[in-house]
Amino acid sequence: MKWLAFALLLLASAPAIAEEDGARLFTPCRACHSLDPAERGLPGPNLSGVLKRNIGGDPAFDYSPVLRKARDDGLRWNTQRLQSFLADPAAMFPGLWMSMRGIEDAAERQALVRFLEDPASR
Amino acid sequence: MNRRQFLKTSAAGILATPTLARLAGAQEGPFRVKYYPVAPGMGSRDTAPAPDGTVWFCGQRNGALGRLDPRDGSFKQVDLGKGAAPHGVIIGPDGAPWVTEGGQNAIARVDPGDHKVTLFRLPEKEAYANLNTAVFDKNGIFWFTGQSGVYGRLDPKSGDMTVFKSPRGRGTYGITITPKGDIWYASLAGNHIARIDPATGNATVVEPPTPNQGARRVWSDSRGRIWVSEWNSGNVSMHDPADGSWKAWKLPGANPRTYAVYVDDKDKVWLTDFSANAIVRFDPVREKFNAFPSDRPGANVRQVNGRPGEIWGGESGNDRLVVIQTVAPA
Repeated sequence: MKWLAFALLLLASAPAIAEEDGARLFTPCRACHSLDPAERGLPGPNLSGVLKRNIGGDPAFDYSPVLRKARDDGLRWNTQRLQSFLADPAAMFPGLWMSMRGIEDAAERQALVRFLEDPASR
Repeated sequence: MNRRQFLKTSAAGILATPTLARLAGAQEGPFRVKYYPVAPGMGSRDTAPAPDGTVWFCGQRNGALGRLDPRDGSFKQVDLGKGAAPHGVIIGPDGAPWVTEGGQNAIARVDPGDHKVTLFRLPEKEAYANLNTAVFDKNGIFWFTGQSGVYGRLDPKSGDMTVFKSPRGRGTYGITITPKGDIWYASLAGNHIARIDPATGNATVVEPPTPNQGARRVWSDSRGRIWVSEWNSGNVSMHDPADGSWKAWKLPGANPRTYAVYVDDKDKVWLTDFSANAIVRFDPVREKFNAFPSDRPGANVRQVNGRPGEIWGGESGNDRLVVIQTVAPA
């Protein structure tokens, strides 16, 4: 039974660890982005509810031409697309105004996307 | 932490990819624009011309510091370490490139001889500083910014480092030093510039007259006036600390996005405009702009630097460096 208890403990603690990782991974993003829907005027678009909207979908933000085109093409964010984007943003959208190195670790990308899609994240 | 680095000569460097050159038309000039392709996927951005004629540049996307030899177009890459994402590079008093290395949250020095990398890591409590740009002061102290809302000083001789919280939090971006030795930085998210007192480390905020202007980068001219690239407003502005005055000029075009600023040895002001996909020259005497659009879309030149007769930038979106020769080469 010990192994079962250990497995249950792992399962129980996994979401907490992932949540913590997602918050940690979002720290550098906060220089330009906010998850508080009321916070506007930052250098990057507001990311509140980003997974439920079109790419380039913050109406208050002036996006790069490549993201404007994606919006005009009707592309939407979803979990898979956002994870791919975070792996190498400039590969998905060449000429993107945002500049960052992609996140190589798939588990980290997943944690960050989970954090972004959690309404409790601010 | 010191670590031995490998040096790789890129295939493109071996092949000595020919540079692309063209004469820019309708300019005060004559100006000659040349492009130097580097490795695909580097995300070539901030540059630093070195005394030996080479140009160091950051590969933020692949974690390498590049070194271009403009004489033949060849380049080399120095791997800065796992997860590296270099943002800014400057040449130190020791002749070496010093890098604000955001990926490892460290200041990196690369030996120009053997390309050995030395890292000066930020304290653990300052993880995720989002390191951005740097200058050396007259005493050889390295001052740096972190966009998460910090700035700091590093004594390269002792390795002592102090990190300060920016007075209004996140956004701390470009940094410059005046001929007198004053240090100023810009806060992109904070919409201001600030002067650092090197003795105390305290920063004093100065508000530009344009609200929510998005002051991204700063550069001093020969008179100690601070030139500011305003991302949100599309202005270039100038603050004279001697009398506290400000002036601002809107860049040409419908919706300019002023990213970078650099002041050359003739006190001409060089900017980049993402909307126009161009490097833009501003003559403060005539109050006239000249644009040098890239020959490829999405160039995204994020910083401008130079040496007498040459203006350098990294086309981060095209994996190229660009130089504008402001005097005819000998």
